[in-house]
Amino acid sequence: MMPDPIELAIFESSFHSIAEEMGIALRRAAFSPNIKERRDYSSAVFDATGNVIAMGDDMPVHLGSMPMSVRAALDKLRLARGDVAILNDPYDGGTHLPDITLVMPVFAEPAAPAAAFYVANRAHHADVGGAYPGSMGLCREIFQEGIRIPPLKLVEAGELNRCLLALILNNVRTPREREGDLTAQLGACRIGVERLAQLIAKYGLARVATNADALLDRSEALMRSELERLPAAEFSGEDYLDNDGINPDPVRICVRIAPDPAHRAIQFDFTGSAPQVDGSLNAVYAITYSAVFYVLRCLLPPEAVPSAGLMRPVKLIAPPGTIVNARPPAAVAGGNVETSQRIVDALLRALSKALPDRIPAGSSGTMNNLTIGGFDPRTGESFAYYETIAGGAGARPNSPGVSGVHTHMTNSLNTPVEALEYAYPFRVRQYSYRRHSGGKGRFDGGDGIVREIELLTDAQITLLSDRRVFAPYGLMGGSDAAKGRAALDGVELPGKCNVQARSGSLLRLETPGGGGWGLPVVDPPTES
Amino acid sequence: MQIAIDTGGTFTDCVYLSNGRLEVLKLPSTPANPAEAVLQAVSQISAGEPAEVRHGTTVATNALLERKGARAAFVTTTGFEDTLDIGRQARPKLYDLFFAKDPPLAPAELRFGIKERISSDGVVLQAIEEPDLRRLIESIRAQRPESIAISLLFAFANPIHERALAAALRPLGVPISLSHEILPEFREYERGSTVLINAYLAPKMQSYLDHLDRRLQSQASTLNVMQSSGGIIPASIAAREPVRTILSGPAGGVVGALAVARAAGFPRILAFDMGGTSTDVALVETATGLRATSEFQIMGMPVAVPVLDIHTVGAGGGSIASFDRGGALKVGPESAGADPGPLCYGRGEMPTVTDANLLLGRLDPHRFLGGAMHLDLERAREYFARTKGPLATVEQFAEGILRLADSRMEKALRRISVEQGHDPRDFVLLSFGGAGPLHACALARALSIPKVLVPNHPGALSAYGILVSDTVRDYSRTVMLSPDDASIARCVAELARNRDGDVALSSLDVRYRGQGYELNVPWTPDFVESFHRLHQQRYGYADRARPVEVVNVRVRMVSINEPVEPPRETLRPGDGSHALVRSTPAGRLYSREKLHAGDRFSGPALIVEYSAATFVPEGAVVSLDEFANLVIEV
Repeated sequence: MMPDPIELAIFESSFHSIAEEMGIALRRAAFSPNIKERRDYSSAVFDATGNVIAMGDDMPVHLGSMPMSVRAALDKLRLARGDVAILNDPYDGGTHLPDITLVMPVFAEPAAPAAAFYVANRAHHADVGGAYPGSMGLCREIFQEGIRIPPLKLVEAGELNRCLLALILNNVRTPREREGDLTAQLGACRIGVERLAQLIAKYGLARVATNADALLDRSEALMRSELERLPAAEFSGEDYLDNDGINPDPVRICVRIAPDPAHRAIQFDFTGSAPQVDGSLNAVYAITYSAVFYVLRCLLPPEAVPSAGLMRPVKLIAPPGTIVNARPPAAVAGGNVETSQRIVDALLRALSKALPDRIPAGSSGTMNNLTIGGFDPRTGESFAYYETIAGGAGARPNSPGVSGVHTHMTNSLNTPVEALEYAYPFRVRQYSYRRHSGGKGRFDGGDGIVREIELLTDAQITLLSDRRVFAPYGLMGGSDAAKGRAALDGVELPGKCNVQARSGSLLRLETPGGGGWGLPVVDPPTES
Repeated sequence: MQIAIDTGGTFTDCVYLSNGRLEVLKLPSTPANPAEAVLQAVSQISAGEPAEVRHGTTVATNALLERKGARAAFVTTTGFEDTLDIGRQARPKLYDLFFAKDPPLAPAELRFGIKERISSDGVVLQAIEEPDLRRLIESIRAQRPESIAISLLFAFANPIHERALAAALRPLGVPISLSHEILPEFREYERGSTVLINAYLAPKMQSYLDHLDRRLQSQASTLNVMQSSGGIIPASIAAREPVRTILSGPAGGVVGALAVARAAGFPRILAFDMGGTSTDVALVETATGLRATSEFQIMGMPVAVPVLDIHTVGAGGGSIASFDRGGALKVGPESAGADPGPLCYGRGEMPTVTDANLLLGRLDPHRFLGGAMHLDLERAREYFARTKGPLATVEQFAEGILRLADSRMEKALRRISVEQGHDPRDFVLLSFGGAGPLHACALARALSIPKVLVPNHPGALSAYGILVSDTVRDYSRTVMLSPDDASIARCVAELARNRDGDVALSSLDVRYRGQGYELNVPWTPDFVESFHRLHQQRYGYADRARPVEVVNVRVRMVSINEPVEPPRETLRPGDGSHALVRSTPAGRLYSREKLHAGDRFSGPALIVEYSAATFVPEGAVVSLDEFANLVIEV
């Protein structure tokens, strides 16, 4: 039966508002700069079997991976009314350890035997323990990266599990801030549950559930109508991470995309990608899934809902034990932030062969993760600062790339300089575009960014960045962009490193630009 | 006498008191020079008598929306010249590989740095060097700016460098906007954006207001301007700080709604102003009065001076309906506007919300704008039949369009009520603007709002709001102090020292130490407890053990305007039959002008008046209160 198009639109907007509202509550009540200023979080609504129905317009890298968190919580726990699950284990529903996810069930009525819906939110916490402040440093095993939380009940029947909370807080550097963030996440979950309960009370469970199903079908229909228009051929693309931070070798990521327009389906095969690495660049399956989800979503019209239905016609092959589907105990902190971007680069490169007029050149391709931790003499407490720094976007077939902007798998905000100087013992010396760092072409790529920070106390700096060896690529004759670089007091730093710095040191980061698109237009020679 | 004049896209609405009676005058707007209609209205109304003219203007809004402001230079601390363009380094659309960013109001060649630095606690870390200053002046002069914005890092903590720059640049003879004067608050991007917008608007606003003011002075009249915050300021201040007027007219609507709600005795209302292309909604409680936000954005640019908490959605009478590729119907945000307009205006090619209302009998084709315009019902029906997609009938299509338009407006109303922890059942929906009263009852039912109120002259409520507004000046400063710090009281006193009002309302922006957003609470001895309570209400928890910090101090200086008593009629019980125009199978049609206080009847009914029509669905009961407001129990 055709769903009522009007009712469907109304429910779409209701589910979306619920996800958005959770996100707003989380952001405003949170303590981590990552959450409150940078918006590194996501909120979503799921049906009874864990299919995502609606997501806030937050972080693309969380898109495909949130359902896996809900799945893991459902597999491991019997969530009853008033329970809230917590987890961050990348090998059990998570992505990397700083991303802590809470999942809360929604019951249509008190006596209902099973949950009718779930809400979940995920936030990037500024520190979850481990070897380095900020928990984003170079490690060889996940055990060094921080506390690893399997799906557990943080709240049971409305009662906070204080033992579990104490255990978590005892293992992190900034427990007060963590507690505040987790409380904000809990508050956001409750708001989501309350809104869904109101929706069910108003329309009745059957009607809400039917429309949730119809939304999944609608996303699927939109996806299939797009797949129908793709050419029936195979397209491959590859790209490289500079290294894993421990060994000097480049790390290959490759994909073969096989559209099947006759069946309105598509397959992505990552066979041939490098084995998982010693350093923390490994991506778990959820990340690769998210990257594919993101790229497909970009091909759809703006009104498409990013629900689980989009992925129904998609087959994904990511061989276990590789950089795109790591197995324990590989370290994974950078898989989420760096490898995810490279997977997108490889995917877009392949797609540019199928859809040359719809795919931009390579964007900066690194989130330039910067973590600084130490002891703040002003407050007498330790601090952990984490920020990602934007770069240039790749030029498009019809327009130049945008400068100084986050692309693809992230869209986090910067921390205002004035907010940062109130909160941390730093002084920002420069924050500007990095001129001429975009690739040249018929359309130029966007420029990267320069950020200079002076430390006002001794601190440990962790840098996790890429595109120092392999530049963001140009397309159709456009040139590559400038690679990134970093220096401490004028001395060049490797892209991935942990260094101890003295008070007064000056850290300078220059992020990559975006690639150019098309051959540069040469002015015709003037007649003499 | 006081005359309120609100410039709109089509009409310039004027409201004034004549012998204690509230009078309304509508003149066609003169978009090429809005002052013409204003001056014509004043001379027509005052007939040479001195008048205090209070003006709701779209000059600033339009200059911004059309990007026709001044060539403005932006000066900041060296190394941060791009902050303004980088913004928060996020892209506006997540899944659009072709996303674009509006170019900044000041392009790279108009952004300048000066070597200087002040710390967060106001200490000068690097003083301005004379040679640098001279070079700066020369490079700015070479660019021939028409206006200059100055926003240095931490200038609110110590304005010494901004003052020095202003003194040095004054000889260039262009308006200078200073961040520590316009918005002495932290967050450099939001502050810089606000100050630059001010500079961008200043020359245009100055010449507009100067011209108007001179002409009015020759008639012995004075000129005041409505701010986005819902208070009046003298034209001289508006000319200097035009960024405060970008929602001048809509703010008048909220103030008008508040006044109507107070008079009618409804303590909590949702103001719902639906026009041709957009709908403005606001939550108003008579106990707390007007609520302003500092997080307003226009065209993606932050405006951090107080703007009334008005939420706008792109859904109005002209919104266009179509089906997407996934088979779902969508309405707006594209609008047919006034040109080509809806199908029934005779030239449009796309179905709109107005057409849907007409097809369902909610507009009288012969009584639109008092009969000045005829609506082509048949033309609308033909187009609807062709574009109705999988829907069986034209009526189903029309109903679907209305339901979808309603759902977008419902979402807007939900955003300002439910999402802020308010239950719509506690509110009255106050509906105005040309199209609002047609949709109000359906929206009220969808949100379980028990009552709808349609005031007198729903098309001129913004002008009425401007007439009754108080004179208001807002002052603020970022302080970042613990709640027991004596400096808070000192700062409040300092900000209130300006004495440009009769009453000083002081408040504080407070947060848990380490949070990134603040909640505003009145400055009272137990403000910390008020903060905990508000935090619980907004975000689902409060933590009284957690340290709290005071981020900003705010003082609002208010001079109360003489209250305007809306005319009161004696209630005469009646059934409205004396105002009945005709009966149709779809319902009865009443002329609003002929209804009187005390009339009471039930729907389905359509009540038409000059600038609006009210649809009363079956089962709803309408009665006229002593102010001749329509009060509809839905």
